[in-house]
Amino acid sequence: MRYIPNTEGQKKEMLKEIGVSSFEDLIKSVPQGVRFEGRLDIPEAISETELEEKIYKIARKNSAFFLTKPLIGAGAYRHHVPEAEKSLLQREEFWTCYTPYQPEFSQGTLQAMFEFQTYLARLTKMEVTIPSLYDGASATAEAALMSLRLKHKNKVIIAASVHPHYRETVRTYVAPHDTEIIELPYKNALVDIDRLKELISDEVASVIVQNPNFFGGVENLAEISGVVHSRNALLINTIAESMSLGILKAPGEMGVDIVAGEAQSFGMDLNYGGPYNGYLATKRQFLRQLPGRIAGETVDMDAKRVFVMTIRAREQDIRREKATSNICSNHGLNILASDIYLSLMGTEGLYKVSLLNTKAAHYLENLLVKCGKFERVFDYPFYNEFLLKCKGNVSTLRGKLLENNFIPPLEISKFYKEERFKDVLLFAVTELLSREYLDQVTEILSE
Amino acid sequence: MKLIFEKSAAGRDGYSLPQDLFDDINTEDCIPEYALIDGKKVLSEVSEVDVIRHFTKLSKLNYGVDDGLYPLGSCTMKYNPRVNEKLASLDNFAYAHPLAPEETVQGCLEIMYNLNKLLCEITGVDQYTMAPAAGAHGELTGVLIMRKYFAGRGEKRHKMLVPDSAHGTNPASTAMGGFKVVEVKSNGKGVVDVRELNELMDEDTAGLMLTNPNTVGLYDEGIKDIERIVHGKGGLLYYDGANLNASFGIIRPGDAGFDIVHLNLHKTFSTPHGGGGPGAGVIGVRKLLIPYLPTPIVTFDGEKYHLSQIGGKSIGMIRAFWGNFPVLVKAYAWILSMGPDELRNASEVSIINANYVLAKLKKYYRPAYDRYCGHECVLTGRDYKRYGIKILDIAKRLMDYGIHPPTIYFPHFEPYAEETMMVEPPESESKEVLDEFINAMIKISNEAEANPELLKDAPHNTPISRTDDVLAARRPILNYDDELRLKDELKWRTEDINF
Repeated sequence: MRYIPNTEGQKKEMLKEIGVSSFEDLIKSVPQGVRFEGRLDIPEAISETELEEKIYKIARKNSAFFLTKPLIGAGAYRHHVPEAEKSLLQREEFWTCYTPYQPEFSQGTLQAMFEFQTYLARLTKMEVTIPSLYDGASATAEAALMSLRLKHKNKVIIAASVHPHYRETVRTYVAPHDTEIIELPYKNALVDIDRLKELISDEVASVIVQNPNFFGGVENLAEISGVVHSRNALLINTIAESMSLGILKAPGEMGVDIVAGEAQSFGMDLNYGGPYNGYLATKRQFLRQLPGRIAGETVDMDAKRVFVMTIRAREQDIRREKATSNICSNHGLNILASDIYLSLMGTEGLYKVSLLNTKAAHYLENLLVKCGKFERVFDYPFYNEFLLKCKGNVSTLRGKLLENNFIPPLEISKFYKEERFKDVLLFAVTELLSREYLDQVTEILSE
Repeated sequence: MKLIFEKSAAGRDGYSLPQDLFDDINTEDCIPEYALIDGKKVLSEVSEVDVIRHFTKLSKLNYGVDDGLYPLGSCTMKYNPRVNEKLASLDNFAYAHPLAPEETVQGCLEIMYNLNKLLCEITGVDQYTMAPAAGAHGELTGVLIMRKYFAGRGEKRHKMLVPDSAHGTNPASTAMGGFKVVEVKSNGKGVVDVRELNELMDEDTAGLMLTNPNTVGLYDEGIKDIERIVHGKGGLLYYDGANLNASFGIIRPGDAGFDIVHLNLHKTFSTPHGGGGPGAGVIGVRKLLIPYLPTPIVTFDGEKYHLSQIGGKSIGMIRAFWGNFPVLVKAYAWILSMGPDELRNASEVSIINANYVLAKLKKYYRPAYDRYCGHECVLTGRDYKRYGIKILDIAKRLMDYGIHPPTIYFPHFEPYAEETMMVEPPESESKEVLDEFINAMIKISNEAEANPELLKDAPHNTPISRTDDVLAARRPILNYDDELRLKDELKWRTEDINF
């Protein structure tokens, strides 16, 4: 077998050196009775060419997605991923290595982490950033747990306009900790601030608000943080579409205490849902309650600047059951991907792409409303996703879009059961949809 | 090395974007004033060429499996097949949106469905969830399944047994899952003390989290008794799959009575570790526990594959969407390439490799237990203490020989509490490579006696010398703009960075 270099002859030779006559002698401690006798009932080994053919054939059962442009986002956004990034990610030194426990052999990984931590700090204007969570949903859940530890209170308010998967993940994570989750309704697709004022109390540890929210709505975080802080709770700002940070004010400027973000848009393909790239950002005073790995600057014996994993006394391998989280393996390669992506985009590129997404989305929304087949359900400011009610038949629309190589928008009733959401669609637009494409979409949907 | 920010030049760019043809749309009409930036956020300004050179340089400061032996204990750093990488990134997978209509993602669903079947056969359980993103994420999933299972039966079990030999993630996941950790001591042979287990296991205890072979590479001979004791008190047995590499075709956790089985598809099933991740810590269960799995799972109706919701007993979602899909493709491709015989051979060779290293080095680095091991062995550096040498020094010196050190930060329980290294040479390492490692280790043992300073200052041939971890923790500088950094005493020492 090409992945196992030792030959039968070498195996025998090594057994002899070990001082046993057969392999069986080495596994005597596995009691008979629990031993697996016989042969695993899985398919016989296939050659590389057979493997390629098999997987290609399965892949063909998917749509030809490269040329099928999504009109859907909902927590997973198709942006252009530069070829320079993809090519760099293929360097084996980056993807075949382990967690950087030995800094002398891992400066590449560690410096990239430190750089991405810096980019996140610049985008969020938060003091401490930690790019070591699986995804935005689990990052939000960890932020909720963090707030319970910081505040020693047992209620968490979560806006109904937070991504449904994120909300469910938060529920799953806090379930063992006797925490009451209070859902904060929306009004006109944004957080209902009057309801927030009624629901907030001294027992509330944190309030979780997504921005832009699940409907694409742009929240007034400064106003929300005023209400949250009036009762000494923490404001957690979930960000599912981090590309928005290119033109939106930084959470750190609006009173946010913890940012729980998803950086998939920074250089990751859709990959049918993962791996993406979760991160947290917070104030320095909360540093020791953060879960996961963080890179820090120090010096080596020659007084050169180098990077190491630091503030390790929070982590599971040292603190065991007293750790801030169980997280160990993270999405390290995705951290690198985001570092490369943001380096390529730079100051100007990130601003431009973020702006382009907004403008293109507003262009499409205008056209669809004008064509007469759609109507607004809410009148609200949005970033690159928006809700429209389809006046015609949704399944016909779905079919027409698929026929023309567009992935249809999300039918929001899948997640929200209110009657008014019947036939309401959540559209997403990124830079991949040119003006020409958007005109074509409008044409298809106006027929 | 310089940071990307230190290579920035005003006006330079590295992006490629379609032209903005939306002059008729006004930004101020789209985004309300309360949310719109006042000025662009400053990132960096470098060209594509700068980026390629910067990261190529960075990559050269790393050491990967392709560079040589990476014998990290309990980490199974085996070769990552190239073809699997290509197949996992096929366009039809890479650009698949997780909420695309089911009829457009039949290929993705088929892979998840087929992989589930294979993993069930390999481990002897009935259904897997592909959702967990990493080993610890899978552990948390397993613990939450236990919690929900007992809650459904009206039982208030609040304790969980965790052997002292367990990885730190086990007690940490247990605590996150709302259970109190009760530690089970190891016996004189390095495995679970069955008598103590018998005393500790009661009807307030949810079960036992066990790694087998355990984290010091030893098979638990008492597994039958362990199973009888835990199940006898109505508890559940959780299998931590960190060390499954010693078990293919030899023992199936499901047959041995485990109710919940965790696997690391990264590591054991050859998918790469990526400098920390992403992995996939999938969780398999016996029939009884299928209703408690995270939702959804993939089902097949004879014609089409579906993402099917699990009913009300499910623990819910543990992340957004369905799993780390490319990792699943790679694991699937690996199993298909291996087949039943080579899977078994992988375990045989990894066990022979570990015992070979143990046999050759036990004279120089006394093992705590003199017995055959599984796929990894634990050596100690006790004999070098008298020269003032710590295990860390031996590990650092190994880098000078071009070999990644074994795991030294773990295990940390008696008799391993200090001065140990856990060596795991997986099946992708040849005898020749192991001999080089063995020779280097023997040379280091001589150096420890003859020239201990050489070890204490090691490494000498790596891109950087030994790092000051204490300083990093005392003055945590966590990004380039960190206020500590800007006014820092370290600054003068970093000014002469010129590459």
